[in-house]
Amino acid sequence: METVTLTIDGKPVTVEKGKSVLEAVIQSGGHVPYYCYHPGLGVDGSCRVCIVKIEKMPKLQTSCSTPCGEGMVVTTNSPEVEAARASVFEFLLVNHPLDCPVCDKGGECPLQDFSYSYGPERSRMAFERRTFDGEGVKADIDFGPTLMLNRNRCILCTRCVRFMKEVDGDAQIGITNRGVHSEISTFEEKGVVSLLSGNLMDVCPVGALTTRDYRFKSRPWDNPNAVDTICTLCEKGCNTTAWIKAKPEWAKGTQLIRTTPRLNEDINSYWMCDIGRFDYHWIEGDRRINQAHMNGNVTSWEDALVSVKDAVDAVGGATHAQFLVSGHASLEELFIIKQFAGNTGGVTFSWRHRVKPQPADTKFKIPAVDAPNLHGAKDLGFNTATSGVANISALQSAVDAGMVKLLYVLDPGPDGTLGDVEWVIAARKAGKIKTLIVQAVLHSALTAAADILLPGCAFVEKDATYTNMTGHVQGAARVITAPGEAVEDWQILSKLSVVFGVNVTYSSSAAVRVAIAQALGANPAYAGLATMTFSRPMSAKSWLQASNPSERWKWDFMFQDLPPIKFGDDFGPTPRANVIPMKEVK
Amino acid sequence: MSFHPLMEYGAGHHQSARVLPEEGPAFQFTAANLAKLEEICTRYPAERRKSAIIAALYLAQGQQGYITLSAMRAVAAAIRCSTAEVEDIVYFYTMFYTRPMGKHIVMVCRTLSCALAGAERVTETLSKELGLRPGETDANREFSLLEVECLGACDRAPVVGVNDDWHECQQPEAAKALIDGLRAAGAGSLTGCHLKVAGE
Ligand code: SF4
Ligand code: SF4
Ligand code: FES
Ligand code: FES
Repeated sequence: METVTLTIDGKPVTVEKGKSVLEAVIQSGGHVPYYCYHPGLGVDGSCRVCIVKIEKMPKLQTSCSTPCGEGMVVTTNSPEVEAARASVFEFLLVNHPLDCPVCDKGGECPLQDFSYSYGPERSRMAFERRTFDGEGVKADIDFGPTLMLNRNRCILCTRCVRFMKEVDGDAQIGITNRGVHSEISTFEEKGVVSLLSGNLMDVCPVGALTTRDYRFKSRPWDNPNAVDTICTLCEKGCNTTAWIKAKPEWAKGTQLIRTTPRLNEDINSYWMCDIGRFDYHWIEGDRRINQAHMNGNVTSWEDALVSVKDAVDAVGGATHAQFLVSGHASLEELFIIKQFAGNTGGVTFSWRHRVKPQPADTKFKIPAVDAPNLHGAKDLGFNTATSGVANISALQSAVDAGMVKLLYVLDPGPDGTLGDVEWVIAARKAGKIKTLIVQAVLHSALTAAADILLPGCAFVEKDATYTNMTGHVQGAARVITAPGEAVEDWQILSKLSVVFGVNVTYSSSAAVRVAIAQALGANPAYAGLATMTFSRPMSAKSWLQASNPSERWKWDFMFQDLPPIKFGDDFGPTPRANVIPMKEVK
Repeated sequence: MSFHPLMEYGAGHHQSARVLPEEGPAFQFTAANLAKLEEICTRYPAERRKSAIIAALYLAQGQQGYITLSAMRAVAAAIRCSTAEVEDIVYFYTMFYTRPMGKHIVMVCRTLSCALAGAERVTETLSKELGLRPGETDANREFSLLEVECLGACDRAPVVGVNDDWHECQQPEAAKALIDGLRAAGAGSLTGCHLKVAGE
């Protein structure tokens, strides 16, 4: 790696050649504000708040668009820089409504934080603010199926424009008109229609773009905890952070309130798709299975487990039982199944395959396979394809031929992720399957047809590991507690293992992972599995401190409580209408 | 097909107040203009085809007089970029018109040199003469009156442009004569800029 060394505020800093001065400042732990710069997007240089003094350069330079040079001497905090920067902030707020109390970004807004830290104490602008689309919340307008736009708050950093152009691949956002009349726009005001639209809320440094799903529901200070986890809704395995909202005092408990992407250069960069972001309501929805059921009636775990044994005995033993397993089953669950698979009729994998409509040259391709762990299944030695449409024809014809007396379905994923199950329901109704046992998380037509129903956990309710499409073995952490009597799926399977002819006893899911790591020792991807750690709900502040600074680009400044730079008397007393006092620059 | 969960959309929320350009009659580039555009595109590397977007918009404006939503779609298709990018460009440059304009577009420069040399008086005269306020077009689509920024002939301020030509040192009387000439003899009466007069 070629490097250059420059001096920032008197300290030597060595960075990779080609990095911008701003990146060098961030890397060295310095403080320079930025809006239009985003590490995942191209350079724009439009917001001007990142200006710094670089010796031998005649004027202040925007650090985000100046590449580091050998021997550069950079000053980020001289009075000259501070005063110029404060003026930029003053201009950014000339037309900004400052409706923070009703703004969804309030509390995690870089415009708030940076203005507080670097801006002047007060504005000298006496004229009325320019508004688009009306005043106040009237200015919140539809901006596609997932977003709302408030143009009064927009600071025209063009991050959203660049995101659509560079990452999404379909430049649906533009800026119409110019100067003070510039506004973010889409052709014919249709809004953004994209499966990556939620990322626009993340990149927007102000409350101009908010998601319909999260707006007005919570505030950063209502979300005391955040947990680093992964998304398991498809085989990509995006790294995410799950945010937990505290319920009010009178309603104890917590609630999963939103999911945001977390940087992983190898997998999802700074982004995630809308499916992973918005499809979480089922987890704490009304259709969760809270208790074990037998023939449609609630029953106790003990009775349910005994009845599984009875059912297996009734059909003549485990060899007459077949497993239909969702691609959502984790490594732990599959590892236990693997141990008794030989005693059973066989294991068939099924998943949903749907091609996502996306622009041809998108940088963030959402895979078609909605299963997080097919590669894990393959690595564990199961005979399954890892791509394309699930092939379940062998199982189907065996069922048709009446060879499958007992079918055990493991379906810990959301609605429909098991692929086609209509045929299972039909076969059970027609009596071709004598006993249908379903271990699932959501009530559905399939669970209604089940003789025995066992409540499992969704991916945010258990520590579980998955191998994504590129072979990364990653853990999804327990973020919230499971509803009712639901039990982690690996535990259910290990309790039932004796029914299928082996007796597996693990004290914890970590113990299962140790066993997997031993079994797959030859595969370097699984080397870290035995010692895999999972993030626990931690206060947003410690979450920030525990993290690598480049990962938290957005919240870098959120909790720093930097003292505001006060200009106090320099700006004179309350401005008089006819006098505009200027701060002297030495 | 959308995989978005159902979120209430388009109902009950406030709608954008942005004034959209008109849809206009269905626009298609003439064969000649398309050929011209393809020729212009060859001046840029193939992967930079978008660079010809301004040329494409000028062709569309030349063909129809102004640019409509339908024309923007045609330009986007021809240039292979998104419609939003085309709209962005159209709105950025004041010389792209999104509404029908007069046959003679009279533009008075109001930037510094011209302003100091009395451009406002010229605008006033023209305004009275044409019965139009700056920005307006008469009902017969004969004249449009516009105030514009620097026309690049500051040494001969005040400058008045008519379509693609400009007229320098226009004191109010000269401007009035200009309009009289246009009324009487149409574009033929234009003498054009001094460069043309002197050089050609
Ligand atoms: S965008 Fe930020 S500064 Fe603006 S109103 Fe919202 S919270 Fe306040
Ligand atoms: S909407 Fe947000 S991201 Fe887009 S330009 Fe405005 S402030 Fe920037
Ligand atoms: S971050 Fe440098 S100009 Fe915006
Ligand atoms: S100021 Fe009028 S032409 Fe330059």
